[in-house]
Amino acid sequence: MPRPPGASRPLLSLALTWAVSGAALAEGAGKGPLSPAQWLERMNVALTTRNYDGVFSHWHGGRVETLRIIHRLQDGTVSERLASLDGSGREFIRTGASLACYLPDKRTVLVEERPEQQSLVGFPTVDADTAQLYELREVARTRLNRRDTHVITVAPRDEFRYGYRLWIDDSTAMPLKSQLCDPHGQVIEQIVFASLKLAAHIPDSAFKPEVATAGFQWLRNDPAMPPAAAALAWGAMQLPPGFKMTAHSAQTLPGSPGPVDHLVFTDGFASVSVFVERQTAAPNQPAVTESAAAVGSSSAFSTVIDGHKITAVGEVPPATVRFIATQLKAQDQPAGADSRPH
Amino acid sequence: MNEELDSQLSAMFDDELPSQECELLARRLSRDGELKSRWGRYAIMGAVIRAERGVRLNAPLAGRVSAVLLAEPSLAAPRSVGLRRTGLRWWQPIVATGLAASVAAGCVLWLRAQSPGPALTAEVTARPAPLPDVVAVTAATGTNTPAGSYVVPARSKKPLALVPTTELANYVVAHSMFSSPVARRNLLSAFMSSEPAGAAEELPDAKAAGR
Amino acid sequence: MGADTSDLSLVHRVQRGDKGAFDALVLKYQHKLVKLVMRYVRNPAEAEDIAQEAFIKAYRALPQFRGDSAFYTWLYRIAINTAKNAVVSRDRSPVEYGLDRTSGDESYDMQNRLKDSETPEGLVLTDEIRSTVNAAIDALPEDLRTAIVLRELEGLSYEEIAAAMDCPVGTVRSRIFRARETIDRRLREVFEGGLGRAEELG
Repeated sequence: MPRPPGASRPLLSLALTWAVSGAALAEGAGKGPLSPAQWLERMNVALTTRNYDGVFSHWHGGRVETLRIIHRLQDGTVSERLASLDGSGREFIRTGASLACYLPDKRTVLVEERPEQQSLVGFPTVDADTAQLYELREVARTRLNRRDTHVITVAPRDEFRYGYRLWIDDSTAMPLKSQLCDPHGQVIEQIVFASLKLAAHIPDSAFKPEVATAGFQWLRNDPAMPPAAAALAWGAMQLPPGFKMTAHSAQTLPGSPGPVDHLVFTDGFASVSVFVERQTAAPNQPAVTESAAAVGSSSAFSTVIDGHKITAVGEVPPATVRFIATQLKAQDQPAGADSRPH
Repeated sequence: MNEELDSQLSAMFDDELPSQECELLARRLSRDGELKSRWGRYAIMGAVIRAERGVRLNAPLAGRVSAVLLAEPSLAAPRSVGLRRTGLRWWQPIVATGLAASVAAGCVLWLRAQSPGPALTAEVTARPAPLPDVVAVTAATGTNTPAGSYVVPARSKKPLALVPTTELANYVVAHSMFSSPVARRNLLSAFMSSEPAGAAEELPDAKAAGR
Repeated sequence: MGADTSDLSLVHRVQRGDKGAFDALVLKYQHKLVKLVMRYVRNPAEAEDIAQEAFIKAYRALPQFRGDSAFYTWLYRIAINTAKNAVVSRDRSPVEYGLDRTSGDESYDMQNRLKDSETPEGLVLTDEIRSTVNAAIDALPEDLRTAIVLRELEGLSYEEIAAAMDCPVGTVRSRIFRARETIDRRLREVFEGGLGRAEELG
């Protein structure tokens, strides 16, 4: 504590008149409190239906990158552009049913056309089942860059999934900051918005790529491939607790020769895609039995079952994708039997 | 209330406690909610005496800072967490025996207990268990039972060999359409900010390389 | 006991990973810091935000704090810088989290947001705390009151107070402690009683 000069003062005459200050802070209008699940719901709605243009930093593995996201919902069509502002120069652009991934470092563009009914995918919703798997809480109300936010935690109750901490803006329900945590509570990924504008109108020009694609190879999928092309119906013998299959379709992937079965499993919050394709091993190549990879904090695992290559990808710990992938089995059903859930 | 302790607290607040006792008391202070509250009230008294006008005396400032700190990496923790993942990684074909995995007991420790304070750290749900090498596996079903009994293999400690492919990109993009919006953001951002090809890690076992 | 031993022992704990120790530092200095920041921004809520930012910055920069200066001095500098930056960036046209004011968007008034307080009780509580403490001090026996006022208002060390009051240092320590205890009994009622939902960290 700073000491005034002349330390050895005489006793002060202590006529203490403490003037009470009136700090006139106006109270803001209060909303009725929402449950954490309601905040997540609002957040998902905001992310999928609002128009916004923001710059955020993505932290992972000790590195930080800056990216820009532009998102628009107009006349029922979603347009989205995600671009790296430093380093890779990669871009991902989605306009309605068409997804394009620009990879200048590989001089490649991946284009995928999706059937119309798959354009707008619903997001996992939080319900009573989810509550058994995750603990939802609002742990604090705090200000983040002068915005009032609710800090919601989604804590996994086991090791099969990851958790989140989300700073949800009170006014717009946008997640201004989000952290992905592993089952041990360590933060493994973080996204923080540096700026975020919610606009009424975003022009089409905002969704054009900046990458010059001259000389690039273009890999497209074949949307004309009939959905029933997958010969076998696949399902999982066992799944980690809480996971259910919620989507099953056949498609082709850009650059890949044949049809690919795409199954989606979700626990209501995290989702895992499993791709099944007939394995084509070229001669002179070692047969791939198992392989693992990671994209940021998401995990991928590939294995071979009954002559088919099974690949699981999802925002879950590595062991979970491995579990699901290894549990796949061709069902004994005639081709064309409808195994689509609900 | 322990009078001696509180008297020490008062002296420490005034910087009048010998450093040895400070060390001990500091440790207690950081963990003891009651002590912290008292310490906080000492600060309020000082503020009133100094007639610090306009300053809110019950501001939730300290609570907010504490909440933010909960999410900050600990200053003592090592920087990287788990395997180094710097973005898009390439496939590793693992021939023969597959991933070597040691089996660990399911242990859910959500937030590491920093100080057993009140509401702010109340979400710590710890079932601490040591990590043995082998734990019995009991059957898991596809129903909604929380996994109390299933055992999850730990991450492999082998470094990954790197092999290029755009196949992974395909999967990532296709999967992204089914992720929750927040997860999608993470996934695609990681994908967008990947390192260019060439930033490969060497695998000690050269036989496994190549595709 | 040199100055700053208490802060240093807490700082060292934080540097070794003990976040709880940082709480104690925040509790001790929050009012001073807010008061300091209010030299730059009038609005108390905004000052609190800036103070909060300063504390977080201090936490992150703590590995670089070597004890060359007193902890509070170091913290003070961070707070001033943070306040100055906040004023500068606020005066620029707001891009951060700005919302378009065109039709169809949420209209958002940043100033109103900044004046938000936690609860209406928040205001009442400040006044109640202030008057409770004042009344308690007025009611103290003179030697206790003198000791604590010399300490908190004048910032004198125990030795200096001992000289001023012509008594042993041990007595000073005991008087200040007893003064605090007496005031605290009343103060706890405010925090724990009735609707007094004062924010308590601890």
